Amino acid sequence: MLTLENVQAGYGGLTALGGVSMDVAEGDFVSIVGPNGAGKTTLFKCISGIVTPTAGSITFAGRDMLRVRPCDRPHLGIAHVPEGRQVFPNLSVLENLEMGAITEAGQKQWAQNLDYVLTLFPVLADRREQLAGTLSGGEQQMLAIGRGLASAPRLLMLDEPSMGLAPTVADQIFESIASVRMEQKVTILLVEQRAVEALEYCDRGYVLETGRVVLSGTHDELLMDDRVRKAYLGM
Amino acid sequence: MTASHILLENFLQALAAGVLLGALYGLMCTGLGLIFGVMRVINFAQGDLMMLGMYFAWYAFAGFGTLAVLGPYVGPIVAAILAGPALFVFGYLLHRLLIARVTGIRVAGLEGEGHYAQLILTLGIALVLQNGGLLLLGSEVTSIKTPLSASAWEIGPFVGQDVSFFINKARGVAFVVSLLVVFSLYLFVTRTQLGKSLRAAADHPEAAIYMGIDVDRAHRIAFGIGTGITAIAGGLVASYLPFQPYVGLDFVIVMYAGVVLGGLGSIVGAYWGGMTIGLVQQLSTLILPTQLQNTAIFVVFLLIVFLRPQGLYGRSVQRT
Amino acid sequence: MNVERSRISPFLWVALIATAYLAAILLVNNQYYQLMMTLVPVWATMGLSWNILSGYSGLVSFGHASFFGLGAYTVTLLLINLGLTPWLGIPIAAVVGAAAGFVIGYPTFRLRGHYFALAMLAYPLALLYVFEWLGYQEVSLPMQRENPAAYMQFPDNRVYSALALAIMVLALLASLRIERSRFGMSLLAIKQNEIAAEAAGIDTFRWKLKAIVLSGLIAGAIGGFYAVVLLVVTPASVFGMLTSAQALIVALFGGVGSAWGPVIGSAILIPLAEVLQGELGDKLPGIQGVVYGIAIILVILFAPEGIYWRTRDLVMARHKAAPPPALERRSVTSAQPTVTHHVGGSEAGQIMLEVSGLSKSFGGLQAVRDVSFAVRQAEILGIIGPNGAGKTTLFNLLNGILQPDTGRVRFLDHSLLGMAPNRIARRGIGRTFQVARPFPRLSVLDNVAIGAYVATASDEDAYALARVALEKVGLTGAAHVMAAGISTQQIRLLELARALAGQPKLLLLDETLAGLGAQEVEAILGLIRQLAADGITIVIIEHTMHAMVRLADRFIVLDHGAVLAEGAPDAVTREPSVIEAYLGKRWSARANA
Repeated sequence: MLTLENVQAGYGGLTALGGVSMDVAEGDFVSIVGPNGAGKTTLFKCISGIVTPTAGSITFAGRDMLRVRPCDRPHLGIAHVPEGRQVFPNLSVLENLEMGAITEAGQKQWAQNLDYVLTLFPVLADRREQLAGTLSGGEQQMLAIGRGLASAPRLLMLDEPSMGLAPTVADQIFESIASVRMEQKVTILLVEQRAVEALEYCDRGYVLETGRVVLSGTHDELLMDDRVRKAYLGM
Repeated sequence: MTASHILLENFLQALAAGVLLGALYGLMCTGLGLIFGVMRVINFAQGDLMMLGMYFAWYAFAGFGTLAVLGPYVGPIVAAILAGPALFVFGYLLHRLLIARVTGIRVAGLEGEGHYAQLILTLGIALVLQNGGLLLLGSEVTSIKTPLSASAWEIGPFVGQDVSFFINKARGVAFVVSLLVVFSLYLFVTRTQLGKSLRAAADHPEAAIYMGIDVDRAHRIAFGIGTGITAIAGGLVASYLPFQPYVGLDFVIVMYAGVVLGGLGSIVGAYWGGMTIGLVQQLSTLILPTQLQNTAIFVVFLLIVFLRPQGLYGRSVQRT
Repeated sequence: MNVERSRISPFLWVALIATAYLAAILLVNNQYYQLMMTLVPVWATMGLSWNILSGYSGLVSFGHASFFGLGAYTVTLLLINLGLTPWLGIPIAAVVGAAAGFVIGYPTFRLRGHYFALAMLAYPLALLYVFEWLGYQEVSLPMQRENPAAYMQFPDNRVYSALALAIMVLALLASLRIERSRFGMSLLAIKQNEIAAEAAGIDTFRWKLKAIVLSGLIAGAIGGFYAVVLLVVTPASVFGMLTSAQALIVALFGGVGSAWGPVIGSAILIPLAEVLQGELGDKLPGIQGVVYGIAIILVILFAPEGIYWRTRDLVMARHKAAPPPALERRSVTSAQPTVTHHVGGSEAGQIMLEVSGLSKSFGGLQAVRDVSFAVRQAEILGIIGPNGAGKTTLFNLLNGILQPDTGRVRFLDHSLLGMAPNRIARRGIGRTFQVARPFPRLSVLDNVAIGAYVATASDEDAYALARVALEKVGLTGAAHVMAAGISTQQIRLLELARALAGQPKLLLLDETLAGLGAQEVEAILGLIRQLAADGITIVIIEHTMHAMVRLADRFIVLDHGAVLAEGAPDAVTREPSVIEAYLGKRWSARANA
């Protein structure tokens, strides 16, 4: 469904991605892990279109993404839940979700999706009218994921959902992601710093370090591999 | 009449005038509030865009006389309201051709630089509009004549037979119309999907793109609406205030003072900010000579900027 | 691109141009053109005044009319009320302008960006209303029958042109001196990156205040002169928006941030505007303003830095730029490519920095939580931790950019709490930033010299210190290259050199290695080790773990703002809590299962 071929990207002389290739098949749950500065967020931004790769190609459902404007990609079915949540602070929880649903698919399934999201995250139902900027970190993360789901996506991309969250809250978030995996028919691409959580639920994974894929494999292969630890801690 | 009655009457008159004027200032500020308060685009030319609105209304009603058919009571009001859509188009194009080059995500990284260019670009636009106006429209002072501006309602008498104050009919009608316009805008941004997506695009442009919102287009529309709203305010003001092409300058500081007072990021706050400025200006005439009215506004503006830049009203949440 | 020092001294240029202009003045007989010859230097001077504040430092002022108008009224009212000749009145007007600059600048500099611009706009407009209210709608300078020359009244208009030229030359000389001195450099640093400037030891507030005072002085003087030329002063003509706009436009059009810019801009725009006004002014009133407006729009969109810089760039581009010089092999024995661990920081070393109980929260978010540690001399301390752990916030607290909610920071036994960043820099703490922004139009050497100002009062010594710093990092070959043309690795080295030039005792390095390739990382690692060997204490934030484990003596691991672990690299990286923080819970459990 999503194919990256030798994608390179950089900012002002710095190379953030030095040639990354990967495949995400429909229905897969793929995790991308790696230490900070490895280029994970840049990778997502290339898929979303905020960053333009300097080389390489990105194909989604057969279409060359480099020809598609960033604001049109969600309408094709790519939902990006960004790093740091990035909710609309001055809009209410409900309005945030509504914004998620402005895609055609999202509009059609609005009622069911809203229902699903509020069941998945009951605390959002309680705070429906509250301004999103006043929510706690964990609640904002739930809202961001809800927003992503509201667009009825074919590919759900989650960028470091645990960042800045207390461990117990992060656990909750991961469990919700696991439920979404089981209950919905959406392909999931997860980027995480915390290797265990990310690799635990995935079908396949990639380990990124300084802009390159240094390891890839199935869930079982990676979870046992000490090289993952070395990539993070250097020794 | 006793001295205290005179004082009371003067006070009530100033208060009434303040509220009436405040509503119009509020409308102007709402327009700027969308542009500066929400999109953080500095637009020095806002006063001159309002001036264009005034002239549009004048031409529609008096100059070309197209709306004269509606009669001298309704005509000016309709002309003022139509200035909205007309200036919406102008503002939309202005943004698309010029302003977009110095705003938006591309420039967001260069925080200081972006603002610098916006300040100077809109200053240039202001000069072109003011002086272009002088060139094309002449320097004579004009106004829209309506019988309403010459008559007033009397409110009172209170306190026996002594105290009463007057509401100029033209201003009164303008007051009502401005409330209706602001209310419609409020409904638009809070109830319609387009309105909400405009707010989202202004609130967090990058996240808006992730939602699939065409942020560039949203900014153009928001800018156009901001221009249109201020133009309507201008059209309404035109029905009782004489004006000329430089009139915009008188209102620029008023508008910015109102928006800042109301708290950046809040459209409703901008309205109340403008209302407050109007009240301050009219009430200040009780103690200051007329020429210093505007100085009072400047002083208020400077005080706000120094002491409480986050404004008094509005429930804006801190931007991350 | 190489920045060559021009072979002809700029002061010689000034002399040449002034002489040429003087000749031109003498040749003009038509009264109308004579007025124009006067107005060109007048507005050039206003542009120079604007440039000193806004061009160099980037604080956009729309209110220079305040100083101009106050100057004009000072001269006028002194003449009318006290019979004081403008020969004395103009210097007094200059003082008034300077004082106004101080009074306005002192409070207004606390404002940022657009608030500053709006406030500056408000001042002249407020003054306009005040003067109108005071009854000075139209004030004329009385004609002096006897001894007009003593009152600066001359029948021959060409004298006015010469006087205007003289004032302009003075302003121009002042600007040129400023450009080449630490005054100008500091202002440029402030414009480019005020926070980095503060961290480099530049007292930004004082320099800004000096700039506005000087700016006000010049504007006040020329405003006073303007009154003498026009003989009639109205509030609108001196406090109006067009006055501020003209000052801005000539500087912008001609070249922002350069002494020649306003001169060029004025020489082109003023005659253009005056001719338009003269020819078409009757049929097309306001044409002057329209032309100015269009000029501003075109300039800001297509050549935002003005004609002077555009032309210079084009001329420079003709001499094809050589590729940026490759990084030099550093000759000294320090290069130790095979060392895997750095051993240093003896136990007995003096404690340089002591942090206890430091906390900082933003709104509800606790960014730094009760952090305590000490750093000894010549140690290399690495601060690591997952994303969002509070590392950069910690640095900002150490170097004065943020003030802690609780806790203490002591450097060499002095408390740093409440100190402005520039004073902390003065005490010997240097810092580099994650996002490095060198000053693009200055040479590498100039960039580094700015960092040396904190160490010495002499400009010459500053450049000497800069050269030494450049040598240490290996950038000597690039000293005269314009900073815009160097590679990212070289930018990192430049930042480092700039921090070193200030002769720091302790360096705070923020992600110096991010995004660099393996070889480049090695080079910088070697450099940092050498600096520690030379006695400088280093505290470094980094994510590139495989490099850090070889570089640092000790690690402090931060997670969620609190210290998670502390100790030697191999111990810390094996600690379960640290592994958990990075890789997630249950990693160790799984690994051991």
